[in-house]
Amino acid sequence: MYINTFLYIISCIFVLLSHSAMLLNIYFNGNAESTAKVIILSVAVLGLDFVYFIIMLMFKQRSYAIDFLLILILNMSVIFQSCFGGVHLSVKHYITCIASLAACKAGYIICKNHKWLQVQKKYIYLAIGILIVVILTLTGSRSMWINIGSISIQPSEFIKPLFVLACATSVAEQQKKRKVLCFYVVYENFALYGLTAVICLLQWWCRDLGSLPTFVGIFVCGFFLRICYPKAKFSKKTLITAGVILLIVALIALRFAPDYVQERLHTDIWSDKTGNGYQQSHALIAIADGGWFGKGAGYGDLHNVFAYENDIVFATISEEWGLLFALMVMLAILIMLAVPLINPPRSYYHSTMSAGVCAYFIMQMSLNIFGSCNMIPFTGVTIPLISAGGSSMVTSGFMVGMLIAAQSPEFKRPAIRQQRNARRQTA
Amino acid sequence: MDFFTDTSNIFLCAVSAAALDLCVLVLILIAYNEKKHAQQYWNRISCCMELSAPDVSYPLNCDEILIGRHASADIRLPDLSVSRYHAILTVSDGIWTITDIGSKSGVFVNGTLVTERILRENDVINLGNKRLIFRRRRNNNVH
Repeated sequence: MYINTFLYIISCIFVLLSHSAMLLNIYFNGNAESTAKVIILSVAVLGLDFVYFIIMLMFKQRSYAIDFLLILILNMSVIFQSCFGGVHLSVKHYITCIASLAACKAGYIICKNHKWLQVQKKYIYLAIGILIVVILTLTGSRSMWINIGSISIQPSEFIKPLFVLACATSVAEQQKKRKVLCFYVVYENFALYGLTAVICLLQWWCRDLGSLPTFVGIFVCGFFLRICYPKAKFSKKTLITAGVILLIVALIALRFAPDYVQERLHTDIWSDKTGNGYQQSHALIAIADGGWFGKGAGYGDLHNVFAYENDIVFATISEEWGLLFALMVMLAILIMLAVPLINPPRSYYHSTMSAGVCAYFIMQMSLNIFGSCNMIPFTGVTIPLISAGGSSMVTSGFMVGMLIAAQSPEFKRPAIRQQRNARRQTA
Repeated sequence: MDFFTDTSNIFLCAVSAAALDLCVLVLILIAYNEKKHAQQYWNRISCCMELSAPDVSYPLNCDEILIGRHASADIRLPDLSVSRYHAILTVSDGIWTITDIGSKSGVFVNGTLVTERILRENDVINLGNKRLIFRRRRNNNVH
């Protein structure tokens, strides 16, 4: 139950107010065929708000700020996705948002007790292994998708939260050093390096190089937090060596990248508007067309361009709602990620886990926004919680659940270890 | 008519943006407020304990506290008799435990050499030449 009823009510009112203002904007200014469609959308959005506000109270948490920010962002994404090309409730995206909320709560329950989670680490590695086998066997030839009827699932998305959990570590875990020759090594670190190499090779093999920077970003974050624990006393020598190694690896990767990647790196989008620069040129024109305040909900033209609702969603939102609003939505996501800075986690495991989640969100957002603005090569990754796509939404929801877990942790020993220790004490 | 439509669009967009801004601002303030509750919960978990040396006190602010001579240790004891990473303090279910992490001079609790031991209030811990007392927090001389 929420500790302060007054603050809970205030938070609910402001979230509802924010969504109502957007819905009023659609009612007065949107491209809706009939008022009924706006009413259906309003009932769906505000209804989900109310239901989640009640469900939230069933979980005994000490912090609910991230929950409120999550429902605020998710329902804004429902409104955006329902307005592309005319106002109508996007049922598919609405269902994925509900799945995302469920995944968030599952993430919270699984990750709140880090001591239990550490005992289960071998199963995390096992789950990643199973997903890799699934990708290699069940997806099509060198692809990342599994098609079941009209539903497409991207199993590689589910590797991301598991990889964040694999990268997270505790101080005690880093102290389990073994002497090999004249070096003290932590075996678990080498397991992680091996796992990262396997995942990178898999991404390369599946030609999904867009997700590769996300995995590398999560790994780099986890790697630095492992070598510089627990007070982040960064040694200049270590930092420079690690930076140089990363740079060399990146240069080698670029040198041996497939032809289609090389082409994208050197594309001039304005001279190749119908080829490789098609999506980016249209996205940039749409952002300019929308200006600061947008054309109005449902009045955009970008919905005629492929992947308007995921790969170039930032441009689609900018066109209809304005650059100002699109930037503010991104700011809301960043603020959700910054909550662990306001209330820092009390365990090193949860801190490294939160850092991994932030790395995932920031890498994905940067790749999508800067890619669609032609500041970096176009990769085609999603903006977490905003872009359409079931696998991405569920994964992002789970990751937010991990952030919530770091805010409302449990400090309990797993039962088996507790019993063993009790026996030792009696002896 | 166009002028009217444009103005209403800008006005409604500005209202939506302002509502979103206000909501985010309120949620930031609420996150700050929740920090107090998180602190209270931590006080309950950690039982407000601290490690005290004759001239300085070390509050136990997270669930794993690394004690050693190294600059990156949470509690730094700059003495050659203390190993770089000497011992670790952990808390679970409100119970603090000290564990020796391969130190050269060992961990002594109330004069007994231990590898892992549950700590009780006013236990005396000896790490090399350094002597620490595990006790309830007092507000003066906090490191």
